[in-house]
Amino acid sequence: MIVPSGSGNLIRNTTYKVVLPFYLYAGIAYLAATVVLLFSTPVFTGHYFHPQIAAITHIMALGWGTMIILGAGHQLVPVLIEGKLFSNTLAYLSFVTAGAGIPLLVYSFYIFNMGWLAQTGAILINAAVLSFLVNIWVSTARSKADSVHAVFVFTATLWLFITTLIGVFLVYNFTRNILPENSLYYLSLHAHIGIVGWFLLLVIGVASRLIPMFLISKYSHPKTLWIIYYLINAGLLAFIIIFFYGFSPALYLMPVAAIAAALVLFARYCYRAYKQRIRKQTDEQVKISLLAVLMMLLPILFLVVVITLLLVATNTRLVLAYGFSVFFGWLTAIVLGMTFKTLPFIVWNKVYHDKAGLGKTPNPKDLFSSRLFTVMGITYLAGFGLFIAGILLANALLLRTAALLLLLTAIFYNKNVIKVLTHKPQPL
Amino acid sequence: MNLITNDPEKVATALAALKNVYDPEIGLNVVDLGLIYEIDFFDNRNELFVSMTLTTQFCPMGESIRDNVIQTLKQTFPGYSVEVDVTFYPPWSQENISEEGLKFLNG
Repeated sequence: MIVPSGSGNLIRNTTYKVVLPFYLYAGIAYLAATVVLLFSTPVFTGHYFHPQIAAITHIMALGWGTMIILGAGHQLVPVLIEGKLFSNTLAYLSFVTAGAGIPLLVYSFYIFNMGWLAQTGAILINAAVLSFLVNIWVSTARSKADSVHAVFVFTATLWLFITTLIGVFLVYNFTRNILPENSLYYLSLHAHIGIVGWFLLLVIGVASRLIPMFLISKYSHPKTLWIIYYLINAGLLAFIIIFFYGFSPALYLMPVAAIAAALVLFARYCYRAYKQRIRKQTDEQVKISLLAVLMMLLPILFLVVVITLLLVATNTRLVLAYGFSVFFGWLTAIVLGMTFKTLPFIVWNKVYHDKAGLGKTPNPKDLFSSRLFTVMGITYLAGFGLFIAGILLANALLLRTAALLLLLTAIFYNKNVIKVLTHKPQPL
Repeated sequence: MNLITNDPEKVATALAALKNVYDPEIGLNVVDLGLIYEIDFFDNRNELFVSMTLTTQFCPMGESIRDNVIQTLKQTFPGYSVEVDVTFYPPWSQENISEEGLKFLNG
């Protein structure tokens, strides 16, 4: 029986004016990160705590990963929670404050002066995250739907807020000694809450909704997603407890095992969605996103080796490879793929919405160059693989060549993003 | 599910026209995708009623697809006003896709 909706079933999307600046900013940040990377390759043969590496990490984590997630998040939250975004004003506020704060913090790391500039940057970033958190919180609370995906997104945002709050304390601790230990001591805590609590939880929450949707797959298994959710959060909480109580490093294998189990379950979830897909031809953007799911296992592998060796001594090369495989590996791979699954639709809606029914419009996928996307995928995979090899072998030539390939990847990515953003309506 | 209508003759014309309305992401038309649930004609007051769904609630392309359905039917039946109700009860499922649609998706 068909039940009439009455009215209000179609809620307007979040306006493109809110979302597009985040995409543009993230693209520029990725380009900036690869430029700095190209001129910083010698430091990747030394210790991981280095001003240039800290600067690159924060461009990648905040300017690239977080900005694009915030942008896409404002667009996708209505899909995930089956409700409307609470406030466009808060969304603008999060863009402006993060947009201003990130360069201040990154520059401070680069010159390693953690004075007022870094402190202002860190506070602005916190203001941005708080704006996003409130926006998601109220949007979710107002939604009638009880969605596991929305819970992932909300919890991830909470962890992001904790990460950036710790970040503020660490920045102040450089100059004022407000914490019992020096800031370097808390680095792994700050980094892992960000990587696991924010990026991993959010990516799984969103991807578990979008991948079956894009594949037109029959597969849906909320129970698996809930198990993944509890495994990740339990793993992260265990990590924090072990960190503060100073237990043996061997115990860190426990949270790693929980996260690894979550990743294996998520990989299985994606595989089942893929096997039960109705749309047999999978496009390149979804392929690279599925590849990113497998790439999630690489940092875990490095982490297991790092912890095992930690019982003897810290291996800086493996720690560097681990960090690189997180930010330039799976996080970048999924962003590269998902950008061209989301951005063309936002722009298509902007350009062709009022032309509905007036003639044949191009498809959203026609708004970017698929050839350039493929070339970008090749330079990316080659650059990423060679850079990891360069770190492990401490080989300058490999690092330089790989950095150049990654810079090319960023150029191709931005070229395609600009192509989408500047798309003019075709005559119908 | 089977399409409901009060005018089997006119509905064939409507469906033929709606085969030109595509879900931009999937690249398949709304008829073969099984998004159209009901089309009724009220000739005495020149009105046309459509009950349809979307592949997912809060589909980002939803408004655009609905508007495209309205415009296409207005052009096909000049002088008729078109009312479209987007419902999610029953929700869309893959079983709604026609044989032709499945062939298209299977590449």
